[in-house]
Amino acid sequence: MITSTTHTTPHGDILELSLARPDKRNALTPEMLTALRDHIAACKRSSARVLLLSGQGPAFCAGFDLSLCKDHPDGSVMRALLSSLHDCIAALRSLDIPVVIAAHGSAIAGGCALLGGGDIILTNAQAKIGYPVPRLGVSPAVSAPFLRDLTHDGNARARLVENTLIDGRTALRLGLAHECLDTPEAVHPRALAIAAGLAAKPAAALAATKRWLAEISPILNADSGLQASLALTGGEEERRLLPQAWSRL
Amino acid sequence: MSLATVTTSGPIATLTLNRADTRNALSLDLLRDLHAAVDDLDARIARDRNLHVVVLTGAGKAFCAGMDLKAVLDNHDLALQLLSTLAKLTIKIRKLPAVVVAKVNGAAIGGGCGLACVCDLAITHADAKVGFPEVDLGVCPAVVAPWLVRKVGSGRARKILLSGGLMSGQQAFDIGMIDTVCPSAADLDKTTDEITTRLATGGPLAQAATKKLLNELDDSLNEALVLRGAQLSADVLSTPDAQARLRAKLSS
Repeated sequence: MITSTTHTTPHGDILELSLARPDKRNALTPEMLTALRDHIAACKRSSARVLLLSGQGPAFCAGFDLSLCKDHPDGSVMRALLSSLHDCIAALRSLDIPVVIAAHGSAIAGGCALLGGGDIILTNAQAKIGYPVPRLGVSPAVSAPFLRDLTHDGNARARLVENTLIDGRTALRLGLAHECLDTPEAVHPRALAIAAGLAAKPAAALAATKRWLAEISPILNADSGLQASLALTGGEEERRLLPQAWSRL
Repeated sequence: MSLATVTTSGPIATLTLNRADTRNALSLDLLRDLHAAVDDLDARIARDRNLHVVVLTGAGKAFCAGMDLKAVLDNHDLALQLLSTLAKLTIKIRKLPAVVVAKVNGAAIGGGCGLACVCDLAITHADAKVGFPEVDLGVCPAVVAPWLVRKVGSGRARKILLSGGLMSGQQAFDIGMIDTVCPSAADLDKTTDEITTRLATGGPLAQAATKKLLNELDDSLNEALVLRGAQLSADVLSTPDAQARLRAKLSS
């Protein structure tokens, strides 16, 4: 199944979902996120044993497509983006099969948030990773509950309030990635090899282990995170800061 | 002779898994002896507050090769008993009002690696083989999962437990599963002695109070949770897939 901006490719037991808007560094539109959510839901009903999430072109994902938001100062597009982003991350976390994410090049803002849905995350040393969205008047609260689960609370807090990006090695140290390759080109082949290894493992044991880990370490307050981000959309601060950010790009 | 031996030297006690011929695999007998040894240590500490550092280690080359499943493979009740006994032991070790140091002298696999995570500190050498290969055998590492989550956080625990396999002592150090790594097995005694000697200079009451608080903060003493883990693990163990894989492994 192929939609214009999200590709699904089956490799045997591995289902690969790839963000396919390479000329825009896979900047996320509401349509892309809705398609991604639907593909993840369909994955539950399929025989796939591993899900691989990747991005085509030079970067995994540069975040929301802000050019869409600037034309909607009422915040309607931002609301759609935030809600469907939350749905995607939550859907990834609810899967019984392992989720591998090949986050090469950059995983910024909404792109970084998607990492919260991964079990095994790969990146490269020079990759740019982070959530510099408060300077857009946007709160990254939507991804905070998931990011907290991936790293320790202290690390998550620092990442969410700082407006800077980190590199792949720092992400590895913080727990935001589990493997850091030397080059962006090396990320996808390695992710595919890891996915193939996981696909060969006993599915029932993997599913039981994933469910148990979700039970003993549940994501807390995921809905509060979304609501906190939604509450700011269309507000004065966002209307003031977002166009400035757009003019900087 | 007990399969779990305790020796003491001033403020430091050493609890040794003493089943070297099976790489200290956790049989029901070994687990029962460990329970008795930890109970004994607890009583000694209550009498002698000067005893406040405990080293957990293995006799021979391995620290602990994990659960000894050979005797319980055909019997769900026995498997559940074995896993529940391990689950209760983890709580008992965590509860000891002393600083407990895992001296991971060699392989620490599955339940054995879980025991290292229960301890307050873990020391090993760069080449030790450690990790959780349970999923490779169709088994769910449910008893040890809460301990790994507390040790390295949920995100890294998911990566480790779903990936299966083993890692080196150095890799385990890099992700925070091991607190101190020395270059080779030959250095382990010296490094451990330095650390335990330093720990022994701490105030026993302050250490015990700190440990008690930390146990409350991360809900360490939640016995019901690890016992549910034992049930889940025993249930997955009895599935045909796990049975076939374990039989193949045990006969190899």
